Amino acid sequence: MEIIVPIRQVPDVALNIRVNDGVVVEDGVSFVISSWDETAIEGALQMTEELGGEVTLLGIGPQRVSEALRKGLAMGAHKAIHVLYEEGQTDSFGYAKIMTKVMEGRNYDMILTGKQAQDTDAGLTASMLAEFLELPQVTNIIRFGDLAADGLTVYRKGDHGTEVLGLKLPAVVTVNDSLNEPRLASMRGIMMAKKKPMESLTPADLGMNAEELGLQGSMTEVLKFEKPESRKEGERFEGEETETVPMTLQKLVSEAKLAV
Amino acid sequence: MPKVLVVAESKNGEIKKPTLELLSLAKSQNLQAETILIGNDVSSHADLLAGYGAEKVYLADDAGLSIYNTSQFTALVEDAAKQSGATQIWLTSSETGRDLTPRVAARFGVGALSDVTELEINGDDITVVRPCMATKLVQQCRFRNDGLKVISIRAGTYEATEASAGSADTVSLSIPEGDPRVEVRNIQVEETNEIELNEASIVVSVGRGTGGTEGCEFVKPLAGEMGAAFGASRAVCDAGWMPHKHQVGQTGTVVSPDFYFAFGISGAIQHLAGMSGSKVIVAINKDAEAPIFKVADYGIIGDLFKAVPVFQEEVGKLKN
Repeated sequence: MEIIVPIRQVPDVALNIRVNDGVVVEDGVSFVISSWDETAIEGALQMTEELGGEVTLLGIGPQRVSEALRKGLAMGAHKAIHVLYEEGQTDSFGYAKIMTKVMEGRNYDMILTGKQAQDTDAGLTASMLAEFLELPQVTNIIRFGDLAADGLTVYRKGDHGTEVLGLKLPAVVTVNDSLNEPRLASMRGIMMAKKKPMESLTPADLGMNAEELGLQGSMTEVLKFEKPESRKEGERFEGEETETVPMTLQKLVSEAKLAV
Repeated sequence: MPKVLVVAESKNGEIKKPTLELLSLAKSQNLQAETILIGNDVSSHADLLAGYGAEKVYLADDAGLSIYNTSQFTALVEDAAKQSGATQIWLTSSETGRDLTPRVAARFGVGALSDVTELEINGDDITVVRPCMATKLVQQCRFRNDGLKVISIRAGTYEATEASAGSADTVSLSIPEGDPRVEVRNIQVEETNEIELNEASIVVSVGRGTGGTEGCEFVKPLAGEMGAAFGASRAVCDAGWMPHKHQVGQTGTVVSPDFYFAFGISGAIQHLAGMSGSKVIVAINKDAEAPIFKVADYGIIGDLFKAVPVFQEEVGKLKN
């Protein structure tokens, strides 16, 4: 089972994110692998541990992306591809086009990635890639079942319940974080990661020209980032619940127009 | 001339509220709107959709479409969009919408903007605001192309306005072949008699402070008594105390009700990202340092097991 896991390197959203003049401040930011992509790496590792094969990571971005790729290799992935990319703002459509070029001529059974990336929370790139590659897609999976001759069983969280699907490979699959708990890299894993193969490519190596990259290659544009209107801390009530609860409800009705 | 094609959705024999929100939005913006409805036994909804402003209803009604699948749904939306001459396609942020939005966009060779919480529409010139970075930031975006624009809009962003009685102009779509590479084998359907999380105006939600299934079940009746949907944090669902369908959060259901009651929920980032759009947040937690108190409009520092019976009594009084 050959699995390619595209990952996105993102600012750690658990920490403070600052905006200056409509742009996210990168200075002093701690970068991590997007959480859902870690889930995807773990899913790929578990599958190759059971069925054989290799996990290849794919990262697109500036030099610092290689650190995220090394972290994924430290978890146990076998090799990585870094498309060194410094073309500026690029949307999901643009990224999907680059990934399509990377996939050309490569052998894989599955492209497995997070359902959305933690920086944009857009959830578009993987499905666009599937369309461009003319592959079937299943998004938001919460469980893998068995691999049989007639396909891989996957469990998808849909709007009406959990869908049980039979998927013929190769295919694009995105994961929900209920799928697994990603392993931590061990010290040994970190040491071994340094020696694992990291293929370095540029957009020129992929035969892409300027119109296909950055803002020119994008269909949508971010005009600016902003902090949303923050919720202010409201009133607090402490004491006997027999008093605080009726007090709160009274305020909810009179101030906030609660109706039950 | 701008023309919107709304991708409608139904569940349990009813059109889902977010669909009506989208049609109402188109109407309020004086945009010509048509809609496509895909499913099994859904044709009877056409008049309702017309009443909400759909000038044409494209129907794909077939037993094989009762469960979502990417291939047929994408092909059907493509067909309807071409027949309609739509300049914009609007979808909701349901799981169907999330899967379908990018595939439809890529089918047409265009981009998409997803999970939009604000739209500024000037004909086909659209600027949007959407949350990002686990809702810590928002981004203002626009389309770069002049052609088709594909957007998904977060449920609860706009109101569904009252509709008039409608008589639909329907168009039957021919059902395309399914993709043999994806076989829908089964669906584990959830209970149908509970209020949908992303359509409820009140949500009563439980977290790890409940201590287990029993604790969650202790709070649950309050939801029913308040006419609320029942939600749970990821910790509660991952621990198996409550089924995942109740999960509120960035990877569960994103909710924006009028009132969100959080019982024993500490307020982890991905949870806040899933409910920070609530108009009023009420938190009940023993721990005064719980992050949820920073976003709660009303915070009760107390024992949820003592608070719930008092809530039940007071709610009973309010109803009489």
